Amino acid sequence: MKIVVCIKQVPGSNRVKFDPITHNLVREGLAGRMNPFDENAIEAAVRLREQVGGEVILLSMGPDATKETLHDGLAMGADAAYLLSARAFAGSDTLATGYILAQAIRQIGGVDLTLFGRQAVDADTGQVGPIVATELDLPQATFASKIQPLAAGRLAVERDLGAVTQTVQLTLPAVVTVRAEANRPRYESPIAIQQSLHKPLTTWTDQDLTLDASRIGQAGSPTVVRKVFAPTPPTRAAKPLPEDPKAAAKALLDILQAQGLL
Amino acid sequence: MISKEGLWIVAEFEGTRIAPVTLQLLTKARAIAGSRPVAAVLMETPEADGEETLAQYGPDEIIVLQAEGFKDASDRALAAQLTQLIQAHQPNAVLFGATPAGRSLAPRVQDQLATGLTADCLDFYYEENELVQVKPSYGDNVMCEIVCPDRRPQMASVRPNTFAAQKAQGAARIERVPVSLTPDDSCVVQHTALKIAATTSLSGARKIIALGRGANKDAVVAGARQLAEKLGASVGVSRPLTDRPDFTAEQQIGQSGVTVSPDLILNLGVSGAVQYQVGMSGSKLVISANRDPKAPIMAQSDYTWTGDAGALVAALQELL
Ligand SMILES: Cc1cc2nc3c(=O)[nH]c(=O)nc-3n(C[C@H](O)[C@H](O)[C@H](O)COP(=O)(O)OP(=O)(O)OC[C@H]3O[C@@H](n4cnc5c(N)ncnc54)[C@H](O)[C@@H]3O)c2cc1C
Ligand SMILES: Nc1ncnc2c1ncn2[C@@H]1O[C@H](COP(=O)(O)O)[C@@H](O)[C@H]1O
Repeated sequence: MKIVVCIKQVPGSNRVKFDPITHNLVREGLAGRMNPFDENAIEAAVRLREQVGGEVILLSMGPDATKETLHDGLAMGADAAYLLSARAFAGSDTLATGYILAQAIRQIGGVDLTLFGRQAVDADTGQVGPIVATELDLPQATFASKIQPLAAGRLAVERDLGAVTQTVQLTLPAVVTVRAEANRPRYESPIAIQQSLHKPLTTWTDQDLTLDASRIGQAGSPTVVRKVFAPTPPTRAAKPLPEDPKAAAKALLDILQAQGLL
Repeated sequence: MISKEGLWIVAEFEGTRIAPVTLQLLTKARAIAGSRPVAAVLMETPEADGEETLAQYGPDEIIVLQAEGFKDASDRALAAQLTQLIQAHQPNAVLFGATPAGRSLAPRVQDQLATGLTADCLDFYYEENELVQVKPSYGDNVMCEIVCPDRRPQMASVRPNTFAAQKAQGAARIERVPVSLTPDDSCVVQHTALKIAATTSLSGARKIIALGRGANKDAVVAGARQLAEKLGASVGVSRPLTDRPDFTAEQQIGQSGVTVSPDLILNLGVSGAVQYQVGMSGSKLVISANRDPKAPIMAQSDYTWTGDAGALVAALQELL
C-alpha cells in the first residue's frame, strides 16, 4: 500500500505573538514541532505498512525549517519525505493549501491512501483533509479512531463522531483523518534517528508542480484575517456573598429560589 | 420559490432528533439576519420529520431534501447534494454546526464552491453584506476576525453551545426539493452505535456544579455529587480533575472539552483559565467559590464567595 501522510509544523507553544500590522504570526524564536495529531497519522501509516507492506511518504508544505519536522517523521518510520516550499505558496489558507497538497499527491502518483491529522492545533480547522479528498474526488473517513486493512483494497475505519461511533468500509484510494485515540505514537529510537538522516527528502517548489497560479498563495485564498486580538473574558457583577459559609449558603439558595432554579 | 441571498443553516440530526446546535444557530441567525431570509436546510429520510422542530425556532423557510439514501449517506454524497442546492439558489451565507459531521461535510462543499470557510466560530455578525466571523486560534489564546470579501457564499462552522436556542413565532414556508441520490459504494456504513444518551450529556445540562483543582478532595467531590443530585444538576470538571479515576474527558468543560450554556453553573475551586472560561461563558447565572478573591473566575461571575470550597459545600448540604 502506498501511503502519503500530510503533516504540518505548528508553533511549539500556543502562547504566540502576532504582528499588529500584518496580523501574521511572529515566527522568530519559535521552535516548531509536528502537529500532535499528525504523529497519530504517521503511526497509523507505519502500522498499516507493517501489516500489508508498501511505503509511507511524508508530505508537508511550509518554510525550510519544516525539514526538521519531516526528519522527526522519518525517524518515526516513514520511508521518504517531500517538502513543498516556495514564496508563491505564502499566505495560502486551507483551500489553497488543500489544492497544492492535492497536486503534489497527483504528482507522487499511485497513492492508495492519504492520511491527515484530525486537525492542526494552531487554527483547529480540520479542513485540509476533506478539501484534498474533494480535489482528488476520493471518499473520506474523518475522525478515525481505528483503521483495519481488509482484503481487496479496502479498509474498515471506525469514526468517532461524538454522539455516535460509525464503522465504514472504505474502498481505496481514499482519505482518512486520524484522531489521537487511534494509537500511541512510537518514540524515535537513536538508531531510527540515525537512519532517518539517510532517507530521501525532496523539496518541490511551485515550478515542480502543475499549478493554476490563481489557486495558490494569497490569490487562491478566499478568506482574509482582518483582525487578531486577545480574548477578553466578559466581566460580570461579581457580587460577594456573605463571608460566613452558612450565611453564604443561605444567600446562595435564596438567589436560586428567586430565579426559579430550585 | 426559495429566496435568493438567504442565510442558510444546514440542519443536523442527533439520532432521530434535530441536534441542539442547529436550533442554537437558527436563533442566532434570526438575530443577525436583518432583512435576509433565514432558511434551514434539511437532508432527511422520508420517515424522519425534522420540519416540525425546526419550525418552532422561526426560520422563514425550511428547504427539505428527502431520500431513503440519506440514511448512512457518505460525506461525498451529502456534499454533492448540498453543493448543487447552493449553486442553484445562491445563498449569501451557509452555516454548519462545528460538530464532527459538520466539520466533515462543510470543507467538501467549500472546495466544490471554491469559497472561504471559517472553522469553529464563537461569534458572527453582518457588516453590510459581509459576514464577520470570529474564531479562536492557538488553543483559544487569540481571537481572529475573518471575512470572505470576494466569493460567495460565505461559509462557517460554529461551535456548539455557544448560543442559546430560543423558540420563536412565525410560519416557516416549506420548500421541498426533489433529489436523486447516487449511492456511493466507496464508503459504506457497516455499523452505527449511539455513544451517550444525549440527555445525560453535560453539554445539554441546565444546571452544573463544576469542580476545579481547589475542590480536588474525595470528601468535597462526594459532597458536590450529593448536592448535584438534590439540585438536579450535572457535575463537570476543569482539566486537572480528569486525572481522577472518577472523571473522564466527557465531563471536562472548556476549549478541549465540552462547551456548556446552563441556566446555572456553580464553580468550586476553579481558577478560570481562558481555556476553561470559553467553555462556560454562555452560562446564564455564574456563581463561583474560590479561596483567592483575585482568581480570574471571580470577575467572570455574577456572585462570588471567598473561602474554602469544602466549607461551602458542607454548609449547602446542611440546608438542602
Ligand atoms: C491548549 C490547551 C487547552 C486546554 N483546555 C482546557 C479545557 O478544555 N478545560 C480546562 O479546564 N482546562 C484546559 N486547559 C488547562 C487550563 O489552562 C488550566 O490549567 C485549567 O483550567 C486549570 O484548572 P483549575 O482551575 O481547576 O486549576 P488551577 O488553575 O490550579 O486553579 C485552582 C483554583 O482553586 C483555588 N483553590 C485552591 N484550593 C481551594 C480551596 N480549598 N477552596 C477554594 N478554592 C481553592 C485556587 O485559588 C485556584 O484559583 C487547557 C490548556 C491548554 C494549553
Ligand atoms: N501545510 C501543510 N502541509 C501538510 N499537511 C498539512 C498542512 N496543513 C494542514 N495539513 C494536514 O491537514 C490536517 C488538518 O489541518 P487543518 O485543516 O489546518 O486543521 C493536519 O493535521 C495535516 O495532516
